[in-house]
Amino acid sequence: MLNVLIWFPCIAAVIVALLPQAIAAHRVRFISLCLSAVTLLWTLWLVSQFDLSNPTFQFRESLPWLPYLGLNYELGVDGLSLPLLGLNSLLTWIAIYSSRVDTERSRLFYSLILLISGGVAGAFLAQNLLLFFLFYEVELIPFYLLISVWGGTQQGSAATKFLLYTATSGGLILAGFLGIIWFSDTTSFTYEALLGQTLPLNIQYVLLILLLLGFGIKTPLVPLHTWLPETYVAASTPVAILLGGVLAKLGTYGIFRFCMVLFPEAWAQVSPGLATWAVVSVLYGALAAIAQKDIKRMVAYSSVGHMGYVLLAAAARTELSFVGAISQMFAHGLILALLFHLVGLIEAKAGTRDLEVLNGLMNPIRGLPLVSALLVLGGMASAGIPGLVGFIAEFLVFQGSYATFPIQTLISVVGTGLTAVYFVILLNRTCFGKLDNDLAYFPKVNWSERIPALILVTLIVVLGLQPAWLVRWSEPTTSALMAAAQELTPMPRLFTAKVLSHQSPPLLSVLEDSPST
Amino acid sequence: MTTTLHPTPTQLPPSQHEFAEVIHRLEAGGAMLPNTPDNLKQIIGLYKAYAVPMDFYWRDLLYIAEQVFLDPLPLFKYFLPQAYLDLHNHYAGDDADLRVWRGEATAHPELLAFMEKGEIKRKLPKLLHHLWHDRINMEFAEECMRAMLWHRNMGGQFDPYLDTDEYIANADRAIKAYFRGNPVMLGLYKLFPEMFIEQVRQLSYYSNLGLFWEVMAPVFFEMSDLYDEGKLTTVPEAMNFLVNGIFAIAGRPIYHHVYIRGECYEIIPKSKGFMWLYEAALPYVEAVFYRTSPFRGTKSYNAQAKQVPDRQEDFHYGILYADVFPVGSAGIPPTLLMQDMLHFLPPYLVEYYQQYCRGEDDMLVQLGISFQRSMYCVTSAVIQALRQALLYPLDDPNPEHLQANRAFFESQLDRFKRPEARLRAIQNQEYR
Repeated sequence: MLNVLIWFPCIAAVIVALLPQAIAAHRVRFISLCLSAVTLLWTLWLVSQFDLSNPTFQFRESLPWLPYLGLNYELGVDGLSLPLLGLNSLLTWIAIYSSRVDTERSRLFYSLILLISGGVAGAFLAQNLLLFFLFYEVELIPFYLLISVWGGTQQGSAATKFLLYTATSGGLILAGFLGIIWFSDTTSFTYEALLGQTLPLNIQYVLLILLLLGFGIKTPLVPLHTWLPETYVAASTPVAILLGGVLAKLGTYGIFRFCMVLFPEAWAQVSPGLATWAVVSVLYGALAAIAQKDIKRMVAYSSVGHMGYVLLAAAARTELSFVGAISQMFAHGLILALLFHLVGLIEAKAGTRDLEVLNGLMNPIRGLPLVSALLVLGGMASAGIPGLVGFIAEFLVFQGSYATFPIQTLISVVGTGLTAVYFVILLNRTCFGKLDNDLAYFPKVNWSERIPALILVTLIVVLGLQPAWLVRWSEPTTSALMAAAQELTPMPRLFTAKVLSHQSPPLLSVLEDSPST
Repeated sequence: MTTTLHPTPTQLPPSQHEFAEVIHRLEAGGAMLPNTPDNLKQIIGLYKAYAVPMDFYWRDLLYIAEQVFLDPLPLFKYFLPQAYLDLHNHYAGDDADLRVWRGEATAHPELLAFMEKGEIKRKLPKLLHHLWHDRINMEFAEECMRAMLWHRNMGGQFDPYLDTDEYIANADRAIKAYFRGNPVMLGLYKLFPEMFIEQVRQLSYYSNLGLFWEVMAPVFFEMSDLYDEGKLTTVPEAMNFLVNGIFAIAGRPIYHHVYIRGECYEIIPKSKGFMWLYEAALPYVEAVFYRTSPFRGTKSYNAQAKQVPDRQEDFHYGILYADVFPVGSAGIPPTLLMQDMLHFLPPYLVEYYQQYCRGEDDMLVQLGISFQRSMYCVTSAVIQALRQALLYPLDDPNPEHLQANRAFFESQLDRFKRPEARLRAIQNQEYR
């Protein structure tokens, strides 16, 4: 069943690539849209079949591939990867929808996007370290091409930078994985077989740091983020959606799946440092965003900040923070996709992304009123305004992390305040104020162009009001992982035990309770 | 009304002014607005669309000045009684003093049809139409009047007269007559006499503006009819029609009469000899086209940083300077007027606007910019009329006289050097 998620997009990519030359770009787009819709529907069906009472991997597939290398084709899904799989399928569809109708070399463009979709799904599903690495690396070339061929300004250098950074990331991760195998004297890269490994602590440190750096580049965490602004800005809207919405999640997913779970003792030791690192990322991302003059760059930097919350939650390693982190990954994917889509629309209609030039887009007659309104909503969601999914995710993260790292959490809360600052700057300059009628001859936004944004907004609002629909998928897995972690790790701090004992009431009741729970 | 200007090629060296091209056009008998069929279509269509609500404005302005007067709760001042709808315009109809328009003297039929059913095309009680804003927006007219009152001191005899003892005595008589048998209001008048006198001054401006627009409505109707008949074919012809109209009507008296219990109180009697051109037209152009007041919408001004001038004569927020994007304002930008004009656009303009920008969706902006173009044409007519009245003919053989004309034009166009002036924009046909 899981095979479909990987191989159907790959087959679809081949089909799209082999479409006759005579077919117009908008038809190629439509065909790709239909094909990715099949994947999306399949994902939804899988979600409906997902057993909520089972915290372990489900729908497992196993096939020996190169057993002497320890590389087997092993797939499975649990509460950590399921939301991300859904996000991947949804954002692929959204990305294809938000691509230009007249995309040049459309067959290549859409087949690359479909290929990425399959590759990312594979990475989320892989239960074998080497298999994960293969899927993790397979995205690089399509992304490189998507950025360098269809990108905007300075796409060449941005794409090269992206390739260099992420290839380095891949190298570090491979080194980490190989290290685990070598030092633990196993021959199999199978994930579950490695769960119980007992490596000496100093080796754990080295390997953990290798992996953290590798995933930190992908996430990205400050100061490994320097590829991000240029890449996001150079990438076209659909590619930016995939980069920010999906690819960045591979980094955080790796941190949870491998760094945190495989090295519990070392993790407990480095976690205070990680929490501080997270805070640096949060503050740096927010402050850098405040200084931007280009709205797409601003959104790109907001991503740096928001990924910091995920690291904070990972460092805190409580059940609540874990659920919060998964929610944050999902919420951030939705919000970032929405923001990139809207920024792309504004750029397409107004011809600029310059904060100094844009003004008064809220104007109902000649502006982009609905786009502006949705941008306001996206900004609110990103800043964590209650009632929207961003609030739920950030609240869970802070609530889960406060007991373990109170100071870092409080500073991160300040970071959300700074998020509000740059979104107010962005919205105030672009949406409000007076539209200048010397400049405002923008084309109309069609309803069809608004559909992706409306879908995302609906999800953002519905999941913001009914967060249980989001957190229920990951709850069993997080509980089980935390219980396992508890057994494995001598509690580094006394109050961690206290926190965990606080977690005993069901999560959903925490959500409904006051913050003083 | 049939004389036309006969321009001759200018004999002077080219002007070095920033708007040299416009100045040469004015010297050749043209307007500030370039002479293109597109411009002509836009300005004439707008004159027509403007004249219909204007037919309501002038009637209601006079009704308020003459009948509502100092009513402390003038809730129904926009509900025009039949008598004022039937009032004969002095410049239209068979019994006109000077028949400018060949149509009827009573309210325009399109206006009456609109007042009957409104935009929703359903006959509902008048009050509902009013509250739903499905009506002629008198707020625009009042805002123009207020701009004239607020700026005052713009030349002429009318305005200084409002401060004379004679005027105050006349007003006093009317106030006392109006509030006869009302001790509360009379007591308040005793306590705050200046406030009541100031209110009467405002009502005198109501009358002033009403009498001004009574002339303009038939002028615009006639221009529209001439255009429809193919007799107005260029922008300079349209401007010259206005110039000739201005001179033909220049002497019409400006007065303020109040009718209290059937008796007429002459607050400003006709015998004062205030003339339409100097006491109404020129102050109106100065106040509404050039000055008005800072835009009170989504833009904020920092007065300490001199973003608002110290002196009122330096104000330049009028329609010639306005960014006409609708912001819901009564004054300038004239959102409410634009809404009124939208109901009376001639079909050729509706069709024209549908071809550009967002078609139906932003017609309000497009017609607002056409309105701006048409007001540049009116301002050109005023500048040419002043030149004709104060200086020399355009075909004067004496170069010194031509030089004086040029100096006059240049000094007029200096007012459009400000960055916010739309004179540059209207030179471009793509400004919509």
